[in-house]
Amino acid sequence: MASVSVHQFAPCITCHAWSPDQSMIAFCPNNNEVHIYKMLEGKWEKIHVLHKHDQLVSGIDWSRRTDQIVTVSHDRNSYVWSQEASEWVPTLVILRLNRAALCVQWSPKENKFAVGSGAKTVCICYYEQENNWWVSKIIRKRHDSSVTSIAWHPNNILLATTSTDGKCRVFSTFIKGVDTKHTSSGSDSKFGELKALIRWSPSGNTLAYAGHDSMIYFVDEIGPSPSAQSVAFRDLPLRDVLFLSERMVIGVGYDCNPMVFAADERGLWSFLRFLDERKQTSNAKYGSQLSGTFGKLYGQSKSGSNEANESSRTRAHDNCITSVVPLKKTRDATVTTFTTAGLDGKVVTWDLQQQQDLMEYLQG
Amino acid sequence: MAEFVEADNAEAIFTRIEHKSSKIESLLKQYKPVEALKTALEGSPPVTKDERCKSANWIVVHRAIMAIKDIDSLFSALDLEYYDVLMKYLYRGLSTGDRPTCDQCLKIHEKLTERAGLGCILRCLADKVNTV
Repeated sequence: MASVSVHQFAPCITCHAWSPDQSMIAFCPNNNEVHIYKMLEGKWEKIHVLHKHDQLVSGIDWSRRTDQIVTVSHDRNSYVWSQEASEWVPTLVILRLNRAALCVQWSPKENKFAVGSGAKTVCICYYEQENNWWVSKIIRKRHDSSVTSIAWHPNNILLATTSTDGKCRVFSTFIKGVDTKHTSSGSDSKFGELKALIRWSPSGNTLAYAGHDSMIYFVDEIGPSPSAQSVAFRDLPLRDVLFLSERMVIGVGYDCNPMVFAADERGLWSFLRFLDERKQTSNAKYGSQLSGTFGKLYGQSKSGSNEANESSRTRAHDNCITSVVPLKKTRDATVTTFTTAGLDGKVVTWDLQQQQDLMEYLQG
Repeated sequence: MAEFVEADNAEAIFTRIEHKSSKIESLLKQYKPVEALKTALEGSPPVTKDERCKSANWIVVHRAIMAIKDIDSLFSALDLEYYDVLMKYLYRGLSTGDRPTCDQCLKIHEKLTERAGLGCILRCLADKVNTV
């Protein structure tokens, strides 16, 4: 099995993030709180509860260098938490949104963070030293609908977003006084259909995004004439993706089982296999959330549901996976361990060191 | 002006559909129902917003779908690239509520889902642009 450990933290997890040294995990148990657990003597202990938001926490990101946690919530606010003594102290970031905040991510240099919202806007927040205050700069008039996912380019300037208006956008977030030089070459571009999430490859050369249509898209050469590839797969849509290397992507979602996508020598992407073991019986494909419905539809509810129960016992996750987060990075930005969390409340750690057939894509 | 172009385009599409229709009829006479379905699905759905074109094309595809007798042999001959568009037409068939059409569409739907997976259904539901 590729899964190293499985731990049930809560009935349901909406998002999670790891501390820089990976000794602690912060997650939202599908309410207005953020729980922080620490591994103490081989057992996970709850050490803090961050209680400041009024509504569901929709995004958490833990900065690697500054050890700060940023959270955003449906209550339209964002907090930056920093540890002072043994307590986490929140600083309110006024986003000036009139709709829920949906996602958040620290920039690679961690001097800014971006928030996507239901108010058709993206906020770029940065710290103003003189006022001791986080300032939010709203980027308007670019999105025609909710911004569902954001991803920073490694150059700290370009930001990619997906929106329910059906477009992916890549644009510059240069802020005078915060960013030192303007490196982007005006590469504002739009493409795609209904999309839900987006990620950059480690080098920032490739962009992957996916939506509710059981497809994953890869875009090279972002600019006026991007070259795009789409990969249709036979199972349920993805909720999150993670680049492990330039040539390998993990997709997680409604199918409860991480999928591996890889690019061959010519750069052509394809679905490789499921990460979790899965029985290849004729009814195995019904072993998903829709099993009951489809079983009934075809008058085979008995065999269908039995199969579903059986396969869920053998798999790490038994409900939709909502997020995938890298755990350890090797020197060349390649990820071999990562964690997934989902609506079943489990956090599963995966290690690909033992997966011989995948190693060539990780090194490439 | 734009309307005129659209109308002209629609005319061209109708001509193509008519041509396709006669080709399908001749294929059906030669007992080649799978070839007929492939022909029907080629160039489908028509690239237009004109509902009349879509309906005309649906009539042709419907004719080909109803002519399929042996569903197993259909899938041994039908290539992957046709799966997504066939699924769309199956849902259009199911939405008619016509008993024999629904029977036939459900039979094919079962086999198609086995082959193409749930992703095929999701793509069909999620595509708001290329409707059939």
